[in-house]
Amino acid sequence: MKKKFDLSSLMRSKLTWAVVAEALILLVCLLVRPDFFKISYQPSTGMLYGNLIDIVNRSSEITIIAMGMTMVIALGGTDLSVGALVAVAGAIALKFMRWDVTVYNTPGDYSVYPFFLAILVPLVVCILMGLFNGLLIAKGDMQPIIATLILMVCGRGIAQIVTNGKQFTTGYSPFRVIGQGSFLFLPMPIIITIIVILCVSLFVRKTAFGTFVEAVGINRSAARLSGINAQMVIFIVFAITGFLSGISGLIYSSRIMSNDSNNAGLNYEMDAILAVVIGGTSMTGGKFSLAGTVLGSIIIRTIVTLVYYFGIASEATMAFKAIIIAVVIVLQSEPVREHFAKRTRSRSQFARGGALK
Amino acid sequence: MPETNLLEMRQIEIQFPGVKALDKVDFSLRAGEIHSLLGENGAGKSTLIKCLTGVHHKDAGTIILDGKEVQPQSPQNAIELGISTVYQEVNLCPNLTVAENIFVGRQPMKHHQIDWKTINSRARDLMARFRLDIDVTRPLSYYSTAIQQMVSIARAVDIKAKVLILDEPTSSLDDNEVKLLFEVMNDLKAEGMGIIFITHFLDQVYAVSDRLTILRNGRLVGTFGINDISKVELVTQMVGKDMDTIFNLKRANVSPDAPYMLTATKIGAPGQLDEITINLKKGELIGFAGLLGSGRTETAEMLFGAKHITTGEISIEGKPVNIAKPYDALMQGMAFCPEDRKLDGIIGDLSIRENIALAIQARRGFLHPLSAKEQNDLADKYIKALGIATPDAEKKIGELSGGNQQKVILARWMATEPKVLILDEPTRGIDIGAKAEIQRLMLEMCEDGVSVIFISSELDEIIRCSNRVIVMRDKEKVAELDGNTCTQSQILSIIAEGAASAGGIAQ
Repeated sequence: MKKKFDLSSLMRSKLTWAVVAEALILLVCLLVRPDFFKISYQPSTGMLYGNLIDIVNRSSEITIIAMGMTMVIALGGTDLSVGALVAVAGAIALKFMRWDVTVYNTPGDYSVYPFFLAILVPLVVCILMGLFNGLLIAKGDMQPIIATLILMVCGRGIAQIVTNGKQFTTGYSPFRVIGQGSFLFLPMPIIITIIVILCVSLFVRKTAFGTFVEAVGINRSAARLSGINAQMVIFIVFAITGFLSGISGLIYSSRIMSNDSNNAGLNYEMDAILAVVIGGTSMTGGKFSLAGTVLGSIIIRTIVTLVYYFGIASEATMAFKAIIIAVVIVLQSEPVREHFAKRTRSRSQFARGGALK
Repeated sequence: MPETNLLEMRQIEIQFPGVKALDKVDFSLRAGEIHSLLGENGAGKSTLIKCLTGVHHKDAGTIILDGKEVQPQSPQNAIELGISTVYQEVNLCPNLTVAENIFVGRQPMKHHQIDWKTINSRARDLMARFRLDIDVTRPLSYYSTAIQQMVSIARAVDIKAKVLILDEPTSSLDDNEVKLLFEVMNDLKAEGMGIIFITHFLDQVYAVSDRLTILRNGRLVGTFGINDISKVELVTQMVGKDMDTIFNLKRANVSPDAPYMLTATKIGAPGQLDEITINLKKGELIGFAGLLGSGRTETAEMLFGAKHITTGEISIEGKPVNIAKPYDALMQGMAFCPEDRKLDGIIGDLSIRENIALAIQARRGFLHPLSAKEQNDLADKYIKALGIATPDAEKKIGELSGGNQQKVILARWMATEPKVLILDEPTRGIDIGAKAEIQRLMLEMCEDGVSVIFISSELDEIIRCSNRVIVMRDKEKVAELDGNTCTQSQILSIIAEGAASAGGIAQ
């Protein structure tokens, strides 16, 4: 028996419908703006410009976080604290660059402490916060949604404390590179995202870690009795998610060259969860798809772009976004997929004269 | 016989992709009859039942209920037609009360509000009919599996069913509970209900049914009156081979000077297990007999580090070891097939391949993954060696039958090449062919020098396989018998002694 291309099982895959949704949204964009796909090269910055580049660039923060969120959801949990961690990372980075604003009172191209501290400390703190989540969940046996609610709520407070409630700005050029620089004609956030995707994918699929995550997510007790250290798996997943939130936070604050404890990473947890779900990973845990998550994140960003292009009043953007997402989710729902899978199957049977045997 | 049939299924055919699940099967059920449906896993019993309950749709054939042709479209539809089913796994909500569970979805209303009084009093009456005096306002999870099972039967009966299907209702019940269930079944039968009874326990078939129907490989073998077929003949018909060939097993051969593989000295924990000592020789099989809750499972879990011991010590090959968690036990060359396959054994959504590779992978750590080729070789090897019925290694384990799931779990541990293998009820709820195969595998491993601890509720298989039998009662070891000479009645009387003395205290 040779393996045949099976249209019916393709129709049943959530990923297929995510691709369809993305294509449809892009098509609408193209209809509204015929030059939507145009990409141009700007020699002065050495970067490519265009809507498609912009969509990918702007989706970076969510994509990076969603890589971790995919594993959290595969474990059967959710991490609500990622948005707050974005704010924490930005605040700490800015704190190290400006330190005491009464002394260093004008923002400029300088950093008070060595630059590596401004990068390293936020990331380490975010990892520790991720480990704190993991501790509550693995050792304290708390539900992830409750455990991470703690940092979601108090994370922004911590960010405020770090900067004494002030909003710092900086003009330090090495920091600017993270969010606004370029490499190989592409914006730096895209490069960072690609590296993150590669690292996470390799870690998950080239080691047995992905299988362990799935096993623990599907049946923690059976995984433990098979000798898997479920607690350690949970620790690692939440630490990774914290770390990735930190990276995302650095990109965000580098884009605005400032920290914004109130708005940085606002609702990122929801977007990241949404990206994972659109990507085909079930909220009940188990099998996960990193590629799907990347696509999900890009879809969300494309929708936002579409909203801008339609010239919709800013008050209505959230509602509009919600409607399109609802359509995408319905397209991916079990009954719809089953319906199309059945139709293709019966049609192909008909084409073969209805005689399968 | 002049009796008319309550239910008649004629020439039922169901086609699944690639297999004919049912091929021209006839089945009939009279009012006031208990009719057993028998066959190995995959024989088509569940498919036939699912066809009747509207889960699967037949491709050909007719179903006649009470003289009218019916086409059950969905389980809900089947219930409306008067066909109620109780599945092996309790399909109730553990967080709702007993009464709520019985009436959920069809609560009696009064003034547009749920009439709790009626619900609770009717539930109490219903449970009284089942000879159960329990508080129906307690959450279901408060009660034992047996009572939960009774509640699900009560629910099915209360829906005014004409046909009641009991799919393996006894697999988690002990003897007294089974007896109670049979009384209830006989009551229902007397009321004119037709009962379809599916079980792997042949003694129970003979104890309660009027007629039986045997299926094999999706075909009807025949329908017999209960007195018209002997047990041996029945098994032969079910399996297609006779019993002697199936259970042609030889006890493991342990030389008297074989070294001790595992010694557990006075291990225990307060309230769970009372300081028990086990000396297991290399290549020996020790059987654990005792009732549910006698401490058998606790012993196994403590040896494997799934439960903590507060006293005693464990040594392997003479060296004391510290086992705090299952991982430690795995590293010491131990393996454990847990009692509840579904809850603690299988990783349902992962493939057979991934399930088999899991324990080895856990031992190696995730940083040293098995290659795709190693995993495939491993899976193919054990699928062949254990005769796991599956089209390929990528099928999800959750989609396999119970016996095949058990084989995959066994394969997971055999792949780690353990020194000590602990099996807790490995043959529960699986058919006789798979049962015999698992026993054979167990004994073969003993021949290869693996020491086995075998826990089972079925004394005949304990006696058939064990070199020594440890009898457990009330969380302690009460006897250690020679497997070659001990008898079923001897073990039973040891277990019963305790029950009698416990009864004495209660009085």
